[in-house]
Amino acid sequence: MLIPMLRAGAWPAVAGLSGVAVVVGGCGAAFPAAATLLLPACFALLAAAAAFTLDEPASLVVDVTPTGPVRRTQLRAVALLAPLAAGALVLLAAALRGQALPWAAVSLALAGNILLGFAVACVVRTRIGEPGPVVGTAVVLVLMAPALVPHVARWVRTFPVSDPGGPSSDRLWWPLIAACAVAIAVSAGGLRRRAWPGSGTRRHRGLSY
Amino acid sequence: MTATLTFGPSATSPGRGTFTALAARELRRFVLNPVFLSAAAFIVFTQSLGPGGETEIDGLSPYPAIFLGGFGMMATYWLTRSMRASEPVVGVTPVTRPVRTAALCTVALVPFACGCLTLLRFVQLTPVGGPIYGPFSSSAQVAILVGQIVMPALGGPLLGVALGRWVRFPGAAFVLFLLIYGWVSLVTILTMWHQNSALVAVLRLFAPFAFFSLHSDAGGVTAWRGSPWFFIGWQLALCAIAILVALLRGAEGRVRSRIIRALGIAGVAAVILLVLAGLGGFTHALTA
Repeated sequence: MLIPMLRAGAWPAVAGLSGVAVVVGGCGAAFPAAATLLLPACFALLAAAAAFTLDEPASLVVDVTPTGPVRRTQLRAVALLAPLAAGALVLLAAALRGQALPWAAVSLALAGNILLGFAVACVVRTRIGEPGPVVGTAVVLVLMAPALVPHVARWVRTFPVSDPGGPSSDRLWWPLIAACAVAIAVSAGGLRRRAWPGSGTRRHRGLSY
Repeated sequence: MTATLTFGPSATSPGRGTFTALAARELRRFVLNPVFLSAAAFIVFTQSLGPGGETEIDGLSPYPAIFLGGFGMMATYWLTRSMRASEPVVGVTPVTRPVRTAALCTVALVPFACGCLTLLRFVQLTPVGGPIYGPFSSSAQVAILVGQIVMPALGGPLLGVALGRWVRFPGAAFVLFLLIYGWVSLVTILTMWHQNSALVAVLRLFAPFAFFSLHSDAGGVTAWRGSPWFFIGWQLALCAIAILVALLRGAEGRVRSRIIRALGIAGVAAVILLVLAGLGGFTHALTA
């Protein structure tokens, strides 16, 4: 079951986004002065990669098979190892370059980013077969908001920076990771896919957004 | 009967009226796009806040580029891609794909107009000639603002149309957005280290958006190398390339060869303007 489920995954998107994230993060590792700008972008790309793991172009067929949503989500969650490994590679490169980052907080941010992308995809997957494009875009915009808009960074940070007066990213990620775990559990196990009257064509590829 | 078929193209070939109708429809779709609406709302919000305590224009000017250009690119990318599913139906209509692409390109006028309005408001809040502009002349200050506020608002949506016509991956727009963000951040930091290097100046300007100054900790604003006027020319060449690349998809026969020829000319012009932008202006960093 594991192999066929994984074979059906959106691997080009997951691997492609993870690869681009490694390039962006690698530049952040190579240029320490740019790390606080490029590593958040790298993590946002990994979150987008996580959002694509649940994409199922044949959802109209797959969703009525005896394999339940819990089992399918568990199997697809294995694909999260790709963005997680890419993030770990970037952090390892940064550590080897001798960067002085708060590693515990950065690792927490990496896990949180990936889990957030996956959790939102789980929730949206209950409505559409391919949540990746919509969720990926939304997650990237939300995660990059503190980097793009300083007004937002005064209140919330998604990446730890050495600013004693600024908000801590840990205070954001711990509750958010807990919320993501609950969202994944509820969306995969508790909710049945809602049957929308006449929604069959909406879920087809290309018309879902 | 033969004469009717040969000389009666008005029923089958689209004229200006068809193009206008298509453009109006695409404009309406773009203006109602939630991504563009949220971007426009944020620009209104940031412009209502005013300059605050900013010590250089680079702290304020990236917002229109991010929201009108970056978000505009995502909106037009989705707008273009949304027609893919109906391509088998739309493809048999008398209107060719380049004409439909051209109609899509006209939506860039909306963020361009928003960019112009933002520029006017920006100049009203932060008059040209102020100390936060650094040692640039008045005309160069205007050129910097046009290059940072108006041109990205035009080029971003055009890039989105070209991307939507050629790239199938549905997340291409946000990937490109992050890549441009990462590149601009990286070359800006490189410029801080090598302020007088011509090569680094060209690298910094090899982007659809570039910073031209930096507020130094010792006080004053340091102007970097590069000509803001030639940078606008480079940005215009990028816009032309984006339009031509978008139009190339689906073009056939003489139209295709004309587009390819125009692409070559635009490419050469872009390279020349980039080099001139990198070598023009101040020959070394200047603080004032």
